[in-house]
Amino acid sequence: MSCHTLQSLASPIAPTWCPGCGDFLIFNSLRKAIIDLQLEEKDTVIVYGIGCSGNMADFNRVYGFHGLHGRGLPVAMGIKLANHKLKVIMIGGDGDVYGEGLQHLITAARGNHDLTLIVHNNSRYSLTTGQTSPTSKKGLKTKSTPLGAIEEPLNPLAVALVSKATFVARGYSVQVPQMVELFKQAILHPGFAMVDVLQLCPTFNQEMNHPWYAQRICTLDQTNHNPQDFGQALSKALEPEKLATGIFYQDKTSVAHHAQLPQLQQASLIEQRPTQVNLQPIINSFS
Amino acid sequence: MTEIKADSSIQTINWKITGVAGEGVMLSSKLVGKAFIRHGWASFTYFEYPSLIKGGHQTGQVLARPTTALNQKKTLDILLVLDKTGWQNHLDEIDEHTVLIFNQDAGQIAIEDQAKIKSKIQNLAMLTLAQQASGRPNNMNIVAFGVSSKLLGLNQTICQQVLKDEFADKDVKILEPILKAFDAGYQAITTVVTPITPVARKQLMLTGNEAVGFGALAGGVQFYSAYPMTPATGVMIFLAEQQQKYPLIVKHAEDEIGAISHAIGASYAGVRAMTGSSGGGLALMSENVSLASITETPLVILAASRVGPATGLPTWTAQADLDFIIGLGHGETQKIILTPGTVSEHYQLTKQAFDLAEKYQLPVFVLSDKHALESYHTLEITEPITQISKLNMAENLPEDNSFLRYQLTESGVSPRSIPGQNHGLHLANSYEHDLWGYATEEADMTAKQAEKREKKLTTLAAELPQPKLLGPQQAEISIICWGSTVLALQDTLADLNQGGINKVNVIHFPCVWPFPTKGFTQLVSNAKKLAIIEGNMTGQLQQLIMRKTGIKIDHQYRRYDGRPFYSEDIIAWINQL
Repeated sequence: MSCHTLQSLASPIAPTWCPGCGDFLIFNSLRKAIIDLQLEEKDTVIVYGIGCSGNMADFNRVYGFHGLHGRGLPVAMGIKLANHKLKVIMIGGDGDVYGEGLQHLITAARGNHDLTLIVHNNSRYSLTTGQTSPTSKKGLKTKSTPLGAIEEPLNPLAVALVSKATFVARGYSVQVPQMVELFKQAILHPGFAMVDVLQLCPTFNQEMNHPWYAQRICTLDQTNHNPQDFGQALSKALEPEKLATGIFYQDKTSVAHHAQLPQLQQASLIEQRPTQVNLQPIINSFS
Repeated sequence: MTEIKADSSIQTINWKITGVAGEGVMLSSKLVGKAFIRHGWASFTYFEYPSLIKGGHQTGQVLARPTTALNQKKTLDILLVLDKTGWQNHLDEIDEHTVLIFNQDAGQIAIEDQAKIKSKIQNLAMLTLAQQASGRPNNMNIVAFGVSSKLLGLNQTICQQVLKDEFADKDVKILEPILKAFDAGYQAITTVVTPITPVARKQLMLTGNEAVGFGALAGGVQFYSAYPMTPATGVMIFLAEQQQKYPLIVKHAEDEIGAISHAIGASYAGVRAMTGSSGGGLALMSENVSLASITETPLVILAASRVGPATGLPTWTAQADLDFIIGLGHGETQKIILTPGTVSEHYQLTKQAFDLAEKYQLPVFVLSDKHALESYHTLEITEPITQISKLNMAENLPEDNSFLRYQLTESGVSPRSIPGQNHGLHLANSYEHDLWGYATEEADMTAKQAEKREKKLTTLAAELPQPKLLGPQQAEISIICWGSTVLALQDTLADLNQGGINKVNVIHFPCVWPFPTKGFTQLVSNAKKLAIIEGNMTGQLQQLIMRKTGIKIDHQYRRYDGRPFYSEDIIAWINQL
């Protein structure tokens, strides 16, 4: 039995993100959370979407699944149902999770699958060189929207909340200690936990730089926020001017999806792999 | 040359019922099919129904024999018509010997219309009988079962037991009026059309979907995720019922993309996983088929065909998805396509699909269609206990986590680890990858990994079911078929070769991909005249055979109107070849 360390997590491949990219700090914060929580090497799985964030797959040495754009969450749900003793973490971007795969976000939240979802939200499709994303502001002109995007931005925290996610938090890629703490709380939460991380993209989103964020960021703790209060969480998520960070909502009574399945009360599914199958008990009703 | 006709010496019962959706004719048909099974007879129960819940024209029919019964036929011994106009679509199935029972509560058949019907018409107020006997007009379909049981000379007690078993999970308050409705129908008939001699044997009555479900269980399935879509839904419903009896999770997914993704995730984590859908749903799964192939994740996929394109005819049959499934998945996606025809093949091949998928770490399709999947077939009980092999996991893994999941090997199969296993860390990657799983764009490794995956198809070829020869070794005409079409052909072989002539044999493909070139060319090497039957417009297997072997087949019979093949039509086609 060995827990992950910086050495065990080290990959032979060096990160390929741009200098100043928020992905570096999210990456380091996740590693610190994994090490601090003493997660087992063999029992930790990270599923990655496709995008700059998903490229993290090459920079970690873990049990990993680098899936399809938008389709990481359903793979993660399947892994967890097959072996709920694993810690399953999903890394995705705003295009991946809030665009292509939004249906799966709603499903994972509604089903309260015990996963940790970390969304690198930079309001751009950066790996495809900077098109508008679901969280980009209305009117944004990019290469794919030279006349300005007509769509209103998606509010991911509100979507997660109304989809009954039992843990909803927001971080900011510059606030490392808070991010580490949010990741740890999310990983420990028994149910679906989403951490939306506002992420700097110095290459394709120069408008939303650190000074832009500095004017808008505040931390929820300072406002005496009660994360058990769903209504308060939703109203904070809907605040237009301020971008609060911290745990918006946590249902302390959360019972994870797998824990509600009678088939998994005694053992995980993989532990129940049959060596022999006897069809006799069901044959009679077909005779 | 003498014209072949159906062999009248073969004892066959052909029964049919028509009604509007909601009248329960599918249940009447299932009960009749089951009653024959309980008499030791074989039965084949076939349904035609529109994609709606109330109204429309529905039929159910049962072909029964003391020997085997594999497919529906046209000319009817008995026809029950519950709806006023139900007879109209079936005039060519009625002859002077047909016993036609018309539900006079639905109205009357006009005198000028009666002239169009070749048989005598017996009026019977079946709705009234249901109302009077059971207090519920809804039990008209049970009255119809009673009427049919008597006409067919079936044993009353056995038929009552069929009903008791069908409603075993229902309250006695529901069962009692049902038994009364049955008895009312049984007593309303005085003449037996054909006395049945029971045969002493025990058999099962299963839809193709249920046989796939049985095969999945016997293959060790532990995870099935799907989104409802006719005609694949039956497998999900069957397996969902078994969740508490076997170590199994059935997930009704958010959509087909989610369904296949859940299954890939579960399989990556080490359990035997399956998904299933029909054309449109499979189209949505396409990208994930490619993913299963490149990540070398075992997966079994039921491809349940119906008529397309797009929504097409959702509740009718076709074999038009062969090219589609061969091509499903972008890039060069490796896969196996099994094409069961008989109910026994649906069971056996689904079971084998799990072994193949796990051993060779790739997607395995079980390609079938509405005709085979939603009809009820007769299955002789075989050994109910199967052994599931232990998951073959890599051993003696280096402690520094340097295990190479995608090692290049002679067979193309690499050792596999699963999460939870010490030192088996690796990356399953949708990007082309190196030996550990990290993404690579390096030319040499790109080609080598692609070749490694392709090599598996050669390695596994010897394990695949080969084309089968049915009927005499040598025959004037060899008819080629795949999937459910073998049902009609096998059911007609005795007619075609009656009197001991070697007129026709059949070459059936239970697996079409990788194409069994060697097995097929050996079988056809001595064939005199080749012909092919397919349920599609463009001759997809015919073209595949041409592409793979250069063999040109000159005679074809294709059907693409949603209807399955009938013996009568096959005989007519053979007669003009």
